[in-house]
Amino acid sequence: MNETGTYVLKLLEAHRIPFDETQKEGFDAFAQRPDIAEAYQQIRKLQEEMIEKWRISERIDQVLQKQIYIPNATAGKPYSAALSLHQLDLDFITHFEIEGLADLGLHYDATSETISGTPQQAGDAHITIRFKVDLEPSETPLNEKKVAFVVNPDPKNLWKNLPSKQEDLYAKKDEDQAFAHLVDRLYFLGVSKRGRAHANVGSFRDDDFAFAHYPATGWNVVAVADGAGSAKYSRKGAQFACQSVVQYFEDALESLEFAGFENDAQAFIHEPESKSAATFQQFAQNQLLKAAQEIQSRLFAFIAEQEQEVKDFHTTLIFVLFKKMHGHYLFLSFGVGDCPIAVLNEDLSRVFMLNKLDVGEYGGGTRFFTMPEIFEPEQIPGRISVLALRSFSYLVLQTDGIYDPKFEVEANLEKIVHWQSFMADLKGLNDEPGVDFSHNNQDIVAQLSAWMDFWSVGNHDDRTLAIVFQVT
Amino acid sequence: MRRLPVYFLLDTSGSMYGEPIEALNNALSGMFNTLRSDPQALDSLWVSIITFDREVKEIVPLTELVNFQLPAIVCPQSGPTHTGLGLEMLHQKVKQDVRKGTESQKGDWKPLLFLFTDGKPSDIQLYREMIPKIKNLGFGAIVACAAGHLADDSILKELSTTVVHLDTCDSSTLKSFFRWVSDTIEQGNKSQGTGESVELPPPPEEVIMVI
Repeated sequence: MNETGTYVLKLLEAHRIPFDETQKEGFDAFAQRPDIAEAYQQIRKLQEEMIEKWRISERIDQVLQKQIYIPNATAGKPYSAALSLHQLDLDFITHFEIEGLADLGLHYDATSETISGTPQQAGDAHITIRFKVDLEPSETPLNEKKVAFVVNPDPKNLWKNLPSKQEDLYAKKDEDQAFAHLVDRLYFLGVSKRGRAHANVGSFRDDDFAFAHYPATGWNVVAVADGAGSAKYSRKGAQFACQSVVQYFEDALESLEFAGFENDAQAFIHEPESKSAATFQQFAQNQLLKAAQEIQSRLFAFIAEQEQEVKDFHTTLIFVLFKKMHGHYLFLSFGVGDCPIAVLNEDLSRVFMLNKLDVGEYGGGTRFFTMPEIFEPEQIPGRISVLALRSFSYLVLQTDGIYDPKFEVEANLEKIVHWQSFMADLKGLNDEPGVDFSHNNQDIVAQLSAWMDFWSVGNHDDRTLAIVFQVT
Repeated sequence: MRRLPVYFLLDTSGSMYGEPIEALNNALSGMFNTLRSDPQALDSLWVSIITFDREVKEIVPLTELVNFQLPAIVCPQSGPTHTGLGLEMLHQKVKQDVRKGTESQKGDWKPLLFLFTDGKPSDIQLYREMIPKIKNLGFGAIVACAAGHLADDSILKELSTTVVHLDTCDSSTLKSFFRWVSDTIEQGNKSQGTGESVELPPPPEEVIMVI
């Protein structure tokens, strides 16, 4: 039986038309008729065309349904992204062009299969891929597929610098600076700057610092506080806490309690294992605790007098008292929150961290000086330090606005290598401007302030750095 | 750098089919454009979108806003609202993706959750089982939004202290709601006391706080 006959038989079968051997002779003649053979040829041709059309349609659908992810660009920044048909498993595409790129300042290079250029305008654009797949006749129009293309603005250009409202309640300056001689060869340098996050919305700096040298007793004190971003008057809480530290010790250091203190300190310095050293340590801790409690109650009294709520004044607080005695420097410190106090030894080979930071499991979670639980007995050891050193080079107090970008994680604050690079950075790395720590440097405050503007992605908090250094 | 992870759990059950889902797509697109023009968000925001109907899909895994592209959110013409199943996937994803602070790893900001639904959970038993687990994850805020008259405020109240109600699911109401969402997100990266939650800005008039 010829090809036509076989086809017709299958057709009859498909339509359930009965056929038996007695009809065979007539069927053979039928299958050999020229018009039937011609019809069969036409059917075959149409079927082949249909299959080809299906193949084309299937491929076009495959392209249309393919998730094509073109990475987002950033306005003003050079952009380059590969768009490889092979990697997308679309090798059957025979013609490929992208429409809409030129308007964005980009172009597609077919040889390297790369989109590149520098987009100028931020926005949520769409680009159109126009394509043709294998087997498609040349006269058919190109197929189109829209693909999302996002050009992000450059965050650096979005930050606004809006001044804070100086007529508001508890207004304070967006930047505070100080440079002063303390005693002997010791100098104090401090700058507190409003972060970009605050400048962007015209809100206040929440950080603060204060310091003092008390000539009558020879003691010095430095305090740093970081008001809670979520508390509306934390700027005042931080300021009041720092200033209260300075005021409290003005009186307390001259009191009888502290007068007897210095003889016992001698034992602590020279015979650290002795019983009187332990007595001194206990005494110093009690004095620091008493100071912190008194400062907290002064802050609470102020808040009550202002008819405000404590939660609106949440702030962290660290402070350190220090004095040279018996050939050593004695440091007494107290801290609540996530601001570190560090003392670096003379040749920058050791760091002494004076407080344990209060950090929660999530970012920004900390404890505030304004919370009642900070004086719970099990928390006290991490809050208080008593340290004697023969010499030191830098005493550094800072807020998380500095150490988050510069030290990244708390553990690095314990490692001297990180402090060595921090000090190198501060003094000016690779021709970048830095701070010249000499007593006759007229520009020292401006230098520190400029250094503190360093750019770090995602770190836009207030920045405060308070440093006591020795000149030779 | 600290990340602020934000999870969107969106109802794509049958009742959302048609106009509501279009409105949701438009409002989301508007919100992401707003967030993209906020430098703080561009620097710290990470976004994830999980949809729930009969099935649960993580249509966008936790992605940095800078790299984020909003896909079209689609829904079937009919079918149940498996909110519980959605919470189950969310729980697993948060556990897996959100970084907690350790001595040597920077912790993320507390994650935020926005749940949007126009119905009530069809899998109420699983929904209630998941509630304590979700609460244990330490979200800085869980905002549940009930849209339209079929949504059940009281069931959402079991999950979240912040439940808002939208009378309709039209484009302008949803836009206004998601504008408020972006304001709320901008509150998310501020220092807080341990255990405190994020303070929310006052909602616009179309958004009714359920007390």
